[in-house]
Amino acid sequence: MELLKNNMEGRKTMKTLLKRLSVLAVSAVFMTVLSPVHSYAAPKGTLTMFHAGSLSVPFAAMEKAFEAKYPGIDLQREASGSQQAARKVTDLKKPCDIVASADYKVIDKLLIPESTTWNIRFATNQLVLCYTDKSAYAKEVNAGNWYTILQKKGVVWGHSDPNLDPCGYRSLMVLQLAEKHYKIPGLYDKLIANRPKENIRPKSVELVSLLQTGNMDYAWEYLSVAVQHELKYIILPDEINLGNYKFDDLYSEAIVKVTGKEPGTFMDIKGQSCTYGVTMIKDAPNKEAAEAFLEYMLDPEGGLKILKDMGQPPFVPCRVPTAEMKAMIPAGLQKLVEVKD
Amino acid sequence: MFKKELFFWITISSGVVILAFILIPLVEMMTAPSMDMLVKTFNDKDVMRSIWLSIYTAGLAALISFIFGTPFAYLLARTDFTGKRLVESIIDLPIVIPHPVVGIAILSVAGKNHWIGQIMSELGIRIMGSVTGIVTVLVFVGLPFYVNAAKNGFESISPRLENVSRSLGASIFGTFFRVTFPLAWRSMLIGIIMCSARAISEFGAVVIVAYHPMIAPVMLYERFEGYGLRYSQPVAMWLVSICLILFLALRVLTLRSKKDI
Repeated sequence: MELLKNNMEGRKTMKTLLKRLSVLAVSAVFMTVLSPVHSYAAPKGTLTMFHAGSLSVPFAAMEKAFEAKYPGIDLQREASGSQQAARKVTDLKKPCDIVASADYKVIDKLLIPESTTWNIRFATNQLVLCYTDKSAYAKEVNAGNWYTILQKKGVVWGHSDPNLDPCGYRSLMVLQLAEKHYKIPGLYDKLIANRPKENIRPKSVELVSLLQTGNMDYAWEYLSVAVQHELKYIILPDEINLGNYKFDDLYSEAIVKVTGKEPGTFMDIKGQSCTYGVTMIKDAPNKEAAEAFLEYMLDPEGGLKILKDMGQPPFVPCRVPTAEMKAMIPAGLQKLVEVKD
Repeated sequence: MFKKELFFWITISSGVVILAFILIPLVEMMTAPSMDMLVKTFNDKDVMRSIWLSIYTAGLAALISFIFGTPFAYLLARTDFTGKRLVESIIDLPIVIPHPVVGIAILSVAGKNHWIGQIMSELGIRIMGSVTGIVTVLVFVGLPFYVNAAKNGFESISPRLENVSRSLGASIFGTFFRVTFPLAWRSMLIGIIMCSARAISEFGAVVIVAYHPMIAPVMLYERFEGYGLRYSQPVAMWLVSICLILFLALRVLTLRSKKDI
């Protein structure tokens, strides 16, 4: 039905083609690929997207819906750590249309200004402590005692690599904020003392299989990942979960040292609420398809709704920090974006 | 031979294509890093530690494959039984399985949700994030190469020689060590080289089982992700050079003795 409606609207806008299209209309019902609107200007071909591992499940759902809408486009997604997604563009020069990062700052840091000029913030997330019913102390753990359980000997818990994965340094920030919030001096160091380096993994999603196979008792994950993988999880107070941007001032008190631009150098990352960013690469091989996808993805009734259903609260509408940046994004997307820092 | 015929030129040109295919990307990668970066990387303790860990775990994996694989390869070479084909294809399985699957499979046995994992945790053996885990993975992926090479070696020795030895009163052990082993050791050595070469190049399965401690391919990946191509290339260059020297040395050793016999 929707398709038919589209066809009707399309006909109105293309008066010169009216005659021809009306002939085609009947067959279009049977051959959706050749539907009149799309046969004229529909983007097609391969659309390449590099995105954060934590977006895999919602993007898989979006891909399905989007490709049904645009049968001519083949969306090819590559999930990785957010940094790696950007590196594939900057260092490996892999052709890519869209990059979506679990931390919008990765786009600011690595892709602007060489590879793109804008960065749309589209969703939020928060950190939760995940476990399974087989985990040690699974029956006792709750939002009030998790930090004592993580200090117990024999409890295996981990997080992803703070140098590679935003979820990794965010996990450490949660621990720092917990020390302040629960007013227990030295809590951070005591917790880390019970987390050998071996419990670190490159990407947070990889920790899920360690939980599920019983190699690990607790792991720090995004809420969305916990929901999508049907893990048990503990929701933490807003003051420490990095999920509520109203607490950004408080979050910024957490500072994690991560590796810098070359081995042996370091830089500090300040805490901030989890904000996802998406951008289109300047020399994207398939700009039309990329715009079509972003238009679908940033639509409150389209991609944003899928994100919401999967435990990843979207910004409605999505945001860019400045009016100058808004002016740089493709015209078709501007209506879906507001200026708000 | 068949010089000046068309066939000769086909063989030559396909050889050139193959060599170029292998060498061009490798040479490009090896020559990309500057001398300065190479020296810096060489003095980087983390890098050298990871390369050493790679060599050491791969060597250990080859040793374990040698100890357990030799008797089994001998059995496969000397006996025929129903289901032998099946057993042989089971040996080959680790070659076909995608690498991350190997890692996941090993972890699922090593976890607390499995009885083997429970026994191991009671014994204090840890697979996740340990050298034990790395060696386990490397044995898993390297073993088929050793067993197959050793089996081929044993098959090429006539059982008659062994029968003569036995009929002259030597024990099975004596026969194996004094007749079979001296004749088959080169195949076994090639098996060990193949097995450790396979092990040293493994990444996909290892990174799932153990990110820390880092073997060289994992370090390469970490360097690439964290710092980019510029800092991962020198690590690659050192790993490739050191492996090249090691394996070249082994090849030379085996070749020289070939002339002796």
